[in-house]
Amino acid sequence: MAISLTESVQIGVNDILTRKVRSLITIFGIVLGVMCIMVVLAIINGMNKSTLTWMQERGGTNKVEVQRNWDYDFRQGGYAALTLAEINQIRGELPEALAIGPTIAAWNTTLQYKGFSYTDQVIGVLPDHQQMESWYPEKGRFFNEIDLRENANVIVLGTSVARDLFKNENPLGRSVMLKDQMMTVIGIMKEKVWENPGGGAFGGNALEYMNRQSFVPLSTMMNKIEVGSLIQSIQILAKSPEDALAIQKKLGPVLLRIKNGRPVFRVSSAQETMQQMEQNSKIFSMIFIMIGMISLLVGGIVIMNIMLASIKERTREIGVRLAIGARRTDIFVQFLVQTVLITGLGGVFGIILGYSILDLVSGYLGMPMLAGPQMILVSLLVSVGVGLIFGIAPAVKASNLDPVIALRDE
Amino acid sequence: MEIIKTQSLIKDYLLGKVRVRALAGIELSIINGEFVAIMGPSGSGKSTLMHIIGCLDSPSEGEYYLDGDLVSKLPKSALAGIRNRKIGFVFQSFNLLPHLNVLKNVELPLMYSGLSARKRKEQASRILDSVGLSDRLKHKPNELSGGQRQRVAIARAIVNNPSILLADEPTGNLDSQAGGDILEIFNDLHKAGNTVIMVTHDRAVAERADRIIEIRDGMIHNGDLAD
Repeated sequence: MAISLTESVQIGVNDILTRKVRSLITIFGIVLGVMCIMVVLAIINGMNKSTLTWMQERGGTNKVEVQRNWDYDFRQGGYAALTLAEINQIRGELPEALAIGPTIAAWNTTLQYKGFSYTDQVIGVLPDHQQMESWYPEKGRFFNEIDLRENANVIVLGTSVARDLFKNENPLGRSVMLKDQMMTVIGIMKEKVWENPGGGAFGGNALEYMNRQSFVPLSTMMNKIEVGSLIQSIQILAKSPEDALAIQKKLGPVLLRIKNGRPVFRVSSAQETMQQMEQNSKIFSMIFIMIGMISLLVGGIVIMNIMLASIKERTREIGVRLAIGARRTDIFVQFLVQTVLITGLGGVFGIILGYSILDLVSGYLGMPMLAGPQMILVSLLVSVGVGLIFGIAPAVKASNLDPVIALRDE
Repeated sequence: MEIIKTQSLIKDYLLGKVRVRALAGIELSIINGEFVAIMGPSGSGKSTLMHIIGCLDSPSEGEYYLDGDLVSKLPKSALAGIRNRKIGFVFQSFNLLPHLNVLKNVELPLMYSGLSARKRKEQASRILDSVGLSDRLKHKPNELSGGQRQRVAIARAIVNNPSILLADEPTGNLDSQAGGDILEIFNDLHKAGNTVIMVTHDRAVAERADRIIEIRDGMIHNGDLAD
């Protein structure tokens, strides 16, 4: 009858306590490896979470966007612009779309009020833009179909625009100068905030650029501000993320046909963007997991070596144990359990250290991180696994000792 | 009744490419309850014989019966159980595990025979009491004198109530006073009915036994039962 596992664990704990310093040095590599894996898992976790919230803040995963294709060489001909007639043609091809929102953006456009000026993006949109982005005015109102029909001189400001131009004044009903047009402020958008949980380089409000935008009716933009301008981008709202992907697939060929086979537009879906972001985080994670694995491999080899040396040193003890009735399996289990205990201990230290440095690493790398209980399990399993793998060789060596020779060992 | 019986026991070793015959046909009988000393110069084969009697090693040829069982043909895995139940070893250099206290050292054979922790403790304490060490249970071996260490080793050897007590130069590392005490314990164990086999090169020590078996060149030279 072999001795019980509890017995082996007791022997193992006793051995580790007898050789405290050596045990601590031995587990160092494992601690680093497990720490690395903890951090990676936290990064993956955090990225997935923040990608999702980012998408939701951006108006959900049901959107498809048509934008200038920056990869296309425009010297070959064609313009990344659409007329209203072409928009209507697209609308006809996509009956399943909930809404289609063409936009004309005027970059670096200056708004003036009294002595102050503010330069950023002014965008001509349809009233549908609110549903499209799930983004509504906080104060006042957005322009409506009547404003659109009448090419009304009305403007809705982003919160940062309003704050910079009007300071403490109430902007509603005031007029701002946009090129040669006097525009009446009829609304202020709700502030968009998405704090990257990681802070650092990617920190701050990632959606601040939206608070710097101002909106005018598309017709006003085309007829009064950027006269003769064409539509450079469209947003399409689908019923579901799946629908959005379907629309995205369908839209590519439609645009190619309209633009005589020139790929001047790029069609992207929020879903696709999210997948892209996840893909990026996966590549990043793989690198870190590789580092963690290499660290664990090195840690495992170090442990194996130390255990082999330790067995050489304890040959006589093994001989004595064999002489008084220990079986080979008893010796095998004793040393395997000891290795697993050491790596497991390393795992526990690694988890504790990993947890405690998460905030630090998160701040330094500017990555969002999120710790979860499943990470503890994974880290513990990995460290125990390393012990099982690298503990086999020393345990086999110990259990194969000839008792006569082992007892003779000085 | 014979507790140990060997027939034409041969043991060959390979030293490099040279075959060395350590035992060249040993015919040995030891009766239950005997106190026997095995003597011989170094290289005579007495250690090899002791290893085979102690089931640490197997003979190349011949048969060895322990307690009526043919153990020379048993696989190595089975020998561990035999060593645990039937043999108690006492070594010249005590061979206590240095990081375990006295009690734990004596409990070891009981652990390998699967006894519960409570019973182990009881039995080991009782045996240690019988060798006069009940006040040293929590001491580490390096806190004890040589004589005390050997008494712990004897306690460990007899704690499982083995068929034979096998001692290899048990007084070799002790002064004459402590050595005398140890031999006295062996004498007591013998009187209580135990079989004691002691390997020594010291004739004064050997003479404490009932019978002296002398080994030379791997053969019994003198002291067989027939003599």
